[in-house]
Amino acid sequence: MKKRAGVFVCQCGTNIEATIDTEKVAEYARTLPGVAYATTYKYMCSDPGQELIRTAIEEHQLEQIVIASCSPRMHENTFRKAVVGGGLNGYMFEMVNIREQDSWVHHDRDAATKKAEDLIRMGVSKVLKNKPLQVSTIPITKKALVIGGGIAGMQAALDIAEAGHQVVLVEREASIGGKMTQLDKTFPTMDCAA
Amino acid sequence: MSIDNEKWEPKVIVFACNWCSYAAADLAGLNHLEYPADVRIIRTPCSGRMDPMLVLRAFNRGADGVLLSG
Amino acid sequence: MVAVAQHPNIELMTYTEVSKISGYIGNFNVQVKKKAKYVDWDLCTGCGLCTEKCPTKKLKDEFDLNMGLRPAIHKVFPQAVPGKPYIDPDNCRKLTEDKCGVCEKICPTKAIKFDDKDEYIDLEIGAIVMATGYDLFNWEAAYGEYGYGKYPDVISGLHFERLVSAGGPTSGHIKRPSDGKEPKSVAFIKCVGSRDDTKGKSYCSRACCMYTAKHAYQVKTKIEDSEAYVFYMDVRTGGKNYEEFYQRSLNAGATYIRGRVSKIYPRGDKLVLKSEDTLIGRPIEVEADLVVLATAMVPSAGSLDLAKTIGFSTDKDGWYQEAHPKLQPVETFSAGVYLAGACQGPKDIPDSVAQASAAAVKVCGLFSKTELATEPMTSEVDISKCSGCALCVPICPYNAISLKEINERGGHGHGPFTRTVAEVNSSLCQGCGACIPACRTAALNLKGYTDEQLVSEVDALCL
Repeated sequence: MKKRAGVFVCQCGTNIEATIDTEKVAEYARTLPGVAYATTYKYMCSDPGQELIRTAIEEHQLEQIVIASCSPRMHENTFRKAVVGGGLNGYMFEMVNIREQDSWVHHDRDAATKKAEDLIRMGVSKVLKNKPLQVSTIPITKKALVIGGGIAGMQAALDIAEAGHQVVLVEREASIGGKMTQLDKTFPTMDCAA
Repeated sequence: MSIDNEKWEPKVIVFACNWCSYAAADLAGLNHLEYPADVRIIRTPCSGRMDPMLVLRAFNRGADGVLLSG
Repeated sequence: MVAVAQHPNIELMTYTEVSKISGYIGNFNVQVKKKAKYVDWDLCTGCGLCTEKCPTKKLKDEFDLNMGLRPAIHKVFPQAVPGKPYIDPDNCRKLTEDKCGVCEKICPTKAIKFDDKDEYIDLEIGAIVMATGYDLFNWEAAYGEYGYGKYPDVISGLHFERLVSAGGPTSGHIKRPSDGKEPKSVAFIKCVGSRDDTKGKSYCSRACCMYTAKHAYQVKTKIEDSEAYVFYMDVRTGGKNYEEFYQRSLNAGATYIRGRVSKIYPRGDKLVLKSEDTLIGRPIEVEADLVVLATAMVPSAGSLDLAKTIGFSTDKDGWYQEAHPKLQPVETFSAGVYLAGACQGPKDIPDSVAQASAAAVKVCGLFSKTELATEPMTSEVDISKCSGCALCVPICPYNAISLKEINERGGHGHGPFTRTVAEVNSSLCQGCGACIPACRTAALNLKGYTDEQLVSEVDALCL
């Protein structure tokens, strides 16, 4: 696989840009071995941001993608879809966290910018070793188990059953109903509980 | 040899479990809790993935401190 | 309840406990234990003759919280679903002493089966909804100032529900347990065990403010010339029509006193409650015939063991942990396992029903697919390097690694031979990577987090 990485640095409005000089970071990224393209954008997760990624993959024949933005726990799936949309395997992509773990926890712009550069260097070196991964599938047994036959268990069982699926309702007492059956009238309507 | 504490910038590598410590570092970010910028976090799928080899590798390459968190 | 029993898509297993769960989303293997009922429910018509004739009649009825009596062969309560009886093996004279056997003789359908045994059944399941509910906080063990349970007329809210229920031991007439007299003055204490870091739980149990308002209303409307005193810390009425209901209780004449009761002690046949009215800043003393404690909700007994069986987490108080407090309130960290009702945290009926329907939708969403995509970042074995030492097998927390025999062609003077190597089940593998440091020959690697990838990250940072 050719080493042609693209680096996309998100400004997240001013969330990142206020503490990190993203233009400087992108410029640094272009000097890294294996990087063919680097750019910044105000909101990389937005529609135009994702379109930017897809177009750049095609225009610059990118093979690996690094996106420096928020936490991967936030937008990894969003960007993976964009990378797939650009015609690459979704796992030829790494995210670099320069918001939660950089711009939001440091005030010194120079230090935060330096840290962003380091993190992008880390992301690039990893992504160049990435291999395409294939998603496999597993079958689904269409039968649900509901554990507990109180009001919540009964409601869940009924709703699933009404949708046409098989349900096994397990209750440890000899009758369903749970605590509800021990109650008299219930608030706020004072209707019967059982 | 003495270290000038004012100028010394230690290189600290953190291996953080994706499900707890990495999420906690994100939470620190959400709350804008400041900490020194010398800290660099590497995301691991779980602290179970940690290999002693990686710690030694970091020291070997000049890290001043390594934090495993998970 | 009847709708559940009659639904053609629901298989109802009562008096049954889950004993084992293994597998993963879409493919769980569940073993349940059907406890011995000593009655063949296929033959039983629920006529009730056995319950009527059983001579062991004076057992404490758990359903009425020991305030009523039941025989050894009985239904949980008269409207039980299924409407069939079972034998309490600890108290049946036939099962304990091999005497009596009356029920067997009179049963018109020959449904009594004294040799009944626990039965284990294996199920193949695609998704699991946890709905194990709650229990009430054991206040007798914690609240010495309320008498540690030694005053019979200090009861819990659930006892009060049984006393006021038409199907309860007093047929709906509010009578106090000690002497069966109708109480003229009833005191309610809220937050017993809730919002109490030292003796109970730090959380609010959410339903107590409203059921206490209901209880006070019922005292005022069911007993003539009665007084209802409610001792409270706050009145929390967050819910549709809840505040209006609280106002209805006030309008019916319930007296709300803001203060914690510091002591209860008997005076004659009455109970004295000592407290402070914090709104006027003075000590206050109230005499009551009956005291009702709004006790905290705690996780259902056995729910922790069940969580361990499945392998998902609970919070500091033992409630089942949702995957995200706001965005994934019914999912758990175990894919394919969903939460409904109070097992996730204290909840009232409307909230339990809402969450149950939400959990049902999650299950239906899963079942709308024929197959499920899995995360590809799993461990893989390079069999050319694997020595078959099996060190990785016990390390895997998900039992995803097993051993298999492979055939080798041989060579260098050897004929064909077989050898053992490790194999990863990618459906079970959660991609934690714990097996990798254990592998002595570096045959295992985690896709997406290979040694090569992590080393390159370390090197890049330490540049």
